[in-house]
Amino acid sequence: MPLWPQRVRGRLTLWYVGVLILILGAYLAGVSALLFWRMSDVLKRLGEEDLETVKGLLYFQPDGGVAVREDYHHHSDWKQVQERLLEILAPDGRILYRNERLGDRTIGGAPFDGEGVNGYSGRTAKMSDGTAIILISRVYVLQDRPILIRVGYRQDLIWDELKETLLVLLAALPLVLAGTAYAGYRMVGRALDPIGQMASRAEQINSERLNERLPESNPQDELGHLALVFNAMLSRIAQSFEQLRRFTADASHELRTPLAAIRSTGEVALQKKNSADEYRDTIGSMLEEVTRLTNIVENLLVLSRADSGQIKMNATDFPLADLVRETASLLEVLIEDKHIKFQLQGDQSIKVHADRLYLRHAIINVFHNAMKFTPVDGTITADIGRLDSARAELLLSDSGPGIAPEQAARIFERFYRANSATENGLRLDANGAGLGLAIAKWAVEANGGTISVASAAHGAAFSIKLIAA
Amino acid sequence: MRILVVEDEKKMADALCAGLEADQFQVSVARSGEEGFFLASTQSFDLIVLDLGLPGHDGLEILSGLRKQKAAVPVLVVTARDTVIDRVKGLDAGADDYLVKPFAFPELLARVRALIRRGSPATIAKLKLADLEMDSAARSVLRQGKEIALTAREFDLLEYLLRQQGRVVSREMLARDVWKETARYTPLDNVIDVHIAHLRRKLDEPFGKKLLHTVRGVGFVLREENS
Repeated sequence: MPLWPQRVRGRLTLWYVGVLILILGAYLAGVSALLFWRMSDVLKRLGEEDLETVKGLLYFQPDGGVAVREDYHHHSDWKQVQERLLEILAPDGRILYRNERLGDRTIGGAPFDGEGVNGYSGRTAKMSDGTAIILISRVYVLQDRPILIRVGYRQDLIWDELKETLLVLLAALPLVLAGTAYAGYRMVGRALDPIGQMASRAEQINSERLNERLPESNPQDELGHLALVFNAMLSRIAQSFEQLRRFTADASHELRTPLAAIRSTGEVALQKKNSADEYRDTIGSMLEEVTRLTNIVENLLVLSRADSGQIKMNATDFPLADLVRETASLLEVLIEDKHIKFQLQGDQSIKVHADRLYLRHAIINVFHNAMKFTPVDGTITADIGRLDSARAELLLSDSGPGIAPEQAARIFERFYRANSATENGLRLDANGAGLGLAIAKWAVEANGGTISVASAAHGAAFSIKLIAA
Repeated sequence: MRILVVEDEKKMADALCAGLEADQFQVSVARSGEEGFFLASTQSFDLIVLDLGLPGHDGLEILSGLRKQKAAVPVLVVTARDTVIDRVKGLDAGADDYLVKPFAFPELLARVRALIRRGSPATIAKLKLADLEMDSAARSVLRQGKEIALTAREFDLLEYLLRQQGRVVSREMLARDVWKETARYTPLDNVIDVHIAHLRRKLDEPFGKKLLHTVRGVGFVLREENS
């Protein structure tokens, strides 16, 4: 089993416990320091009182020595005070008295300059045998003789008390930690539960069942937001799948139509004996369908390469008007044949940044589409303008029958040929496979532009927005 | 003129063979890369038409092998692979020209002829077919001695047809050679058709006898028909 848990739940619980241990550790250290400081302080105060007691219990022996009636019972609760160490010195450092507990050890050695002269002096010190003590001393003048009384209390006794307190606290620690770990584990589990549910729901969603969605319990919290985002992504995937499915179906249908024509033409021609001219006509008719098939396949290849990002744009700066004029001149015979009036308006100096070849392809397709639906003696207008400092627009409007709003949204789809067009005489691309505008849309967008149907009221207008140079 | 066709697909090989023979070439067919390599190294050909998608040895291997032998025979590669990378690979391996399947047969013939007569670009300024005369330097066209006024594009179109007279010219060839378009668009086919119609109106209609014919499903041809 790895030491570091694999699941978020275990990891988070471990983190909780770890952080708690750190905090408790810091807390205990703080408490101990405070307690130690407080106890030392109290001990010093008690020591001052004790000094006075000792002073009161002090008497001079006939030989001039000093003694203390230590058998006098005093009532301190403090063990330290009960175990007092006592030393009485002459100002020159000579030891006048040591109590029994002290024996022949010394507290603090020779007095320092001014020790205990102006009130109590308290400090931590080491005895001659190295025991750490708290030392309080004061100089008293008794019977005209100055003497220095020192009382010492063993510091390890404070430590012992501290240890006891800490032990009590530490004994509770495992219980606290276990409780926290359990609560944390449960809490994390509760918090992560929706994720598990989402995961199992998501597992059931596959390409066949893309309509299923995750429950969006509370869109305000993070998990609800996640579900929302996930669902939006699912919608997009479902949409792409639907498009792909339709595209495949449409492509098969489009390829099937010329194939059916080739087949029937061939079969019918073989049913009876024909003249050479008739056979020639039959073969010619079949070849026409082959050309149609070839065109469809070629366009599909362009689109599939575009989809897979295989086509690289080679952008340059050039005047948009030049490209429009070039397109118009390429299609000039068709325009003249229908007596269409073509006008180029707007700022002819505007330059755009795009791949000239692919943009040209796009404009030719859009222009050709406009031309096909413009009636004899109609007009086509190309208007070039600047939208802002970064974008230029080519608005290509015609005087054709226009585009129904429900078609405007779909006109750039692949193979879309306005199904209803046959009934109401709107846009119908009789020869093409309905890929021209799809290719135009790709080419414009690959160059950082957008293409849309700008107005569909009187005639159609296509708006191509491009990056201005 | 001897041509070696290396093509594994029988129908395609037969069609190429028949089509080239109809154009007065002598054709040998190899149905595998090994056979093609053997024939090309042991016999002499004026041109090799090489399919890249061969079983066993890849067409490109055959080509590099041939070029290593310093065979200077022109090679026209025919393939269904048409990305730029494929083209570059083919030309790097020593192909002289590259044609993507499915192609129009007149186009193949035009490329074959261009490769064979390469190095002798004798452009004749004065072209003639029956009672039609063209001076491409002076840019004038006469039929039955009468001047025909053509637009620049119509003139280029007629000149191209006249230079290829008697041979069928496809729309792809016109798009590439007359319109100088690199990609093919459906709109262009319409443009070509309308130009042909205009040309026919000026060239044929006033004079009775038809010179510009449409070969349905294939393209156009400029020729004198004796019917």
